[in-house]
Amino acid sequence: MRVSKGLPNRRLFGKVTLAAAALGLLIGISPQARASDHTLVMAAASMKDSLEEVAKLYERDTGRKVALSFAASSALAKQIEQQAPADIFISADLDWMDYLAKRDLIKPESRSNLVGNKLVLIAPKAIASPITVEKGNFPLLQRLGNSRLATGEPNSVPVGKYAKAALTHLGVWNEVELKLVRAESVRSALAFVSRGEALLGIVYETDAKVDKGVEVIGAFPTDSHPAIIYPIARTATSKAPDAQAFLDFVKSPAAFDVFRKYGFSAAPAPQG
Amino acid sequence: MLDIAIKRRQGSFDLDIAFQAPSQGVTALFGPSGSGKSSVINAIAGLSRPDAGHILLDGAVLFDSARRVDVPVEKRRVGYVFQDSRLFPHMSVLDNLLYGLRRVPQGERRIELEPVAKLLGIDPLLKRRPHTLSGGERQRVAVGRALLAQPRILLMDEPLASLDAARKAEILPYIERLRDELNIPIVFVSHSADEVVRLATTLVLVADGRVRATGTVAELSVRLDLDGAIGGPEAGAVLDTTVVSHDPDSRLTALRFNGGELTVPLLSLGIGQPLRVRIQARDVILALEPPSRISVHNMLEGRIIELGEATGPSRDVKIDLGGSFLLARVTQHSVERLGLAVGTPVFALVKSVAFDRVFPGPAGKHIAL
Amino acid sequence: MLTPLEIEAVSLSLWVASWSTLTVLPLAIVAALILARAEFWGKSLFDGIIHLPLVLPPVVIGYLLLITLGTRGVIGSWLLETFGIRLIFTSAGASVAAGVMSFPLMVRAIRLAIEAIDGGLEAAARTLGAGPIDRFLTITLPLTLPGILSGAVMAFAASLGEFGATITFVSNIPGETRTLPLAIYTATQTPDGDLEAARLVALSFTLSLSALILSEWLGRRVRRMMGRP
Repeated sequence: MRVSKGLPNRRLFGKVTLAAAALGLLIGISPQARASDHTLVMAAASMKDSLEEVAKLYERDTGRKVALSFAASSALAKQIEQQAPADIFISADLDWMDYLAKRDLIKPESRSNLVGNKLVLIAPKAIASPITVEKGNFPLLQRLGNSRLATGEPNSVPVGKYAKAALTHLGVWNEVELKLVRAESVRSALAFVSRGEALLGIVYETDAKVDKGVEVIGAFPTDSHPAIIYPIARTATSKAPDAQAFLDFVKSPAAFDVFRKYGFSAAPAPQG
Repeated sequence: MLDIAIKRRQGSFDLDIAFQAPSQGVTALFGPSGSGKSSVINAIAGLSRPDAGHILLDGAVLFDSARRVDVPVEKRRVGYVFQDSRLFPHMSVLDNLLYGLRRVPQGERRIELEPVAKLLGIDPLLKRRPHTLSGGERQRVAVGRALLAQPRILLMDEPLASLDAARKAEILPYIERLRDELNIPIVFVSHSADEVVRLATTLVLVADGRVRATGTVAELSVRLDLDGAIGGPEAGAVLDTTVVSHDPDSRLTALRFNGGELTVPLLSLGIGQPLRVRIQARDVILALEPPSRISVHNMLEGRIIELGEATGPSRDVKIDLGGSFLLARVTQHSVERLGLAVGTPVFALVKSVAFDRVFPGPAGKHIAL
Repeated sequence: MLTPLEIEAVSLSLWVASWSTLTVLPLAIVAALILARAEFWGKSLFDGIIHLPLVLPPVVIGYLLLITLGTRGVIGSWLLETFGIRLIFTSAGASVAAGVMSFPLMVRAIRLAIEAIDGGLEAAARTLGAGPIDRFLTITLPLTLPGILSGAVMAFAASLGEFGATITFVSNIPGETRTLPLAIYTATQTPDGDLEAARLVALSFTLSLSALILSEWLGRRVRRMMGRP
């Protein structure tokens, strides 16, 4: 068989080489290849602005970057359950951290409570006016009128669960249940109110602070719902060399100053 | 009557056509592919607009560039038979036929379904769907549909081009009937000499976007300046004859034409029936005196009126038979040998059995070829 | 057999998908006609805009719908003031979201069907005296019918599965906007909701498969009616 040195063969060879190079490049720059380098933090949506600032501080101090992913704690927990490559998980309630703990998906010795928060009732700034939030004296339905109340999905998203607990405690849950907009994260609910699509919303105090389009018109009594605690832990599969360092930084006083600026409170110590 | 004179330029193609089509008979536009024939009937239909000129139909203006008149297609009342029939696939044959009729006001419906269906033999097809029909059947339905639209002119764009020989033979008689029975102009486009020789009453020869010649088939068939445009190697005079007598004993028929008589093998036609006959030039022998003791029956006396160009070994000679003309193809050598020249009296000899090309003439009965 | 939640999700999905397909269909026919037949400056741009829902992330489309059709949006506020119509948080809004996302699919299918029609048939109809609207109704539309049907069913099936734009625009409201995909999503986010999610997924699969089979059968019947063997 004669091996031809003619032009067609050269062209084919060139094409194959190019394709192989492109493929190699793609593989080389794929996230998978870099996953183990950066610390990946999956945190509750309400932590967005504050945690970003903390991460910037960390980078300024140590020169190292971290990757941040924000969503409802329920969504994140489910993703970690499906082997999402997170190193650190910050949840907006204890339930979802317990969910992962039960499935041995976190390092139990790394778990602690990070910060606390308050539950508030908000309205679009343009039409905001105060309302009493007391058991037996909570004219929520009247205030709602024809419109809707936006909060997280009460079955899964932490802010929604707190809201359902509070509304039940205050005796108005049955009335307003059908008027809910069950958003998939607290920020989504916040946006609906900010845009005026929903005339009322239940979010965290820290969220109301960052959105200029809404105003707090009432605060839920702390005994109307389980304490709002944000636990933090390292995932069982955490591999990034930097993860523990960042976790320690997030728990440091310097970081807490940032959290407090945004309206978070100190978290009570874990019970039992 | 159709009166058309148009100019159109499309890219490098330059069209400049003028002719008239009488209200009876078939006016055939004949020429090679790309000569502009289809452009002409598209202009008559209104599917394309010429750059300049006019198109008048029975005095009504369809198009006039000077007066800025351009009647839209749907208002022109032209019947168009396309090469690919273009029957509507989602309708039955009957609905196809009635499509145009239904769009004509009640009072103006002269041509009716039954006579047309009978004329074209499409009665048994009415409930069928177009895709179940043969090519010939489809074309007949297409003709019927065009007729039932009460057209003022019938346009046929190479309607037989996509049919095989058998289907063509099936449908030609129907078109001949149309020619003989309709009172509206029929413009028939074709690049097939056979079709044109058989069907045309008036022939318009088109080449390179220009009209090369117009006239009857008989006239044009004997013109030497058309380089055998009609018929090529089978070129020859086309004569319209009438049957005068039969001789069953000798099995011969006599045909009379303007300028003489022809004897042909016995035909099963009635006396007085018209018949169109072609005598190929290469079947004609010339003699300076009538030969005796020869098998040839037809010795037609005439005079040489024109000699064709001396290209190649053969040469065409046009003979005036006193009323009609004949073409003979002889060798240049013989021309010199016999001293043939314009004015020379000659006898044209044609074998009776050379008449195997007979077609019905206008208003003639059909004979199988 | 089916829980109330499941029945609600299925019937809502069917309702939303039906309305979205029906209301968008006439628009899709017009758009397909324009793209198939008309020539004008900006035609490529028009074509591109129509196809945006196919290439943009659904969430982006949902967001665009939110800012234009929300009660503060340009069109949404007009709708609210003039007709009292609110689209956000309603099944009507879910239909709009599904309709917008499936619009390009419909246009493509119909356009292809129109372009497949032999242009010569229209010329023939013209010579037989049919004006433009006449031709559209008697020639173009009937011959395009199989394509229209196929486009409609494709759009219906796509609407059944629409998620991103829906959840961004009209959110996740049981009885109003919680279609099957949103119900599945909610189930997956709920602790121990995986069984429910599996049931809903099976339902969704059955629904979509039935829609596709129905479309095949319909398509064949229509084609036969139209004279294609």
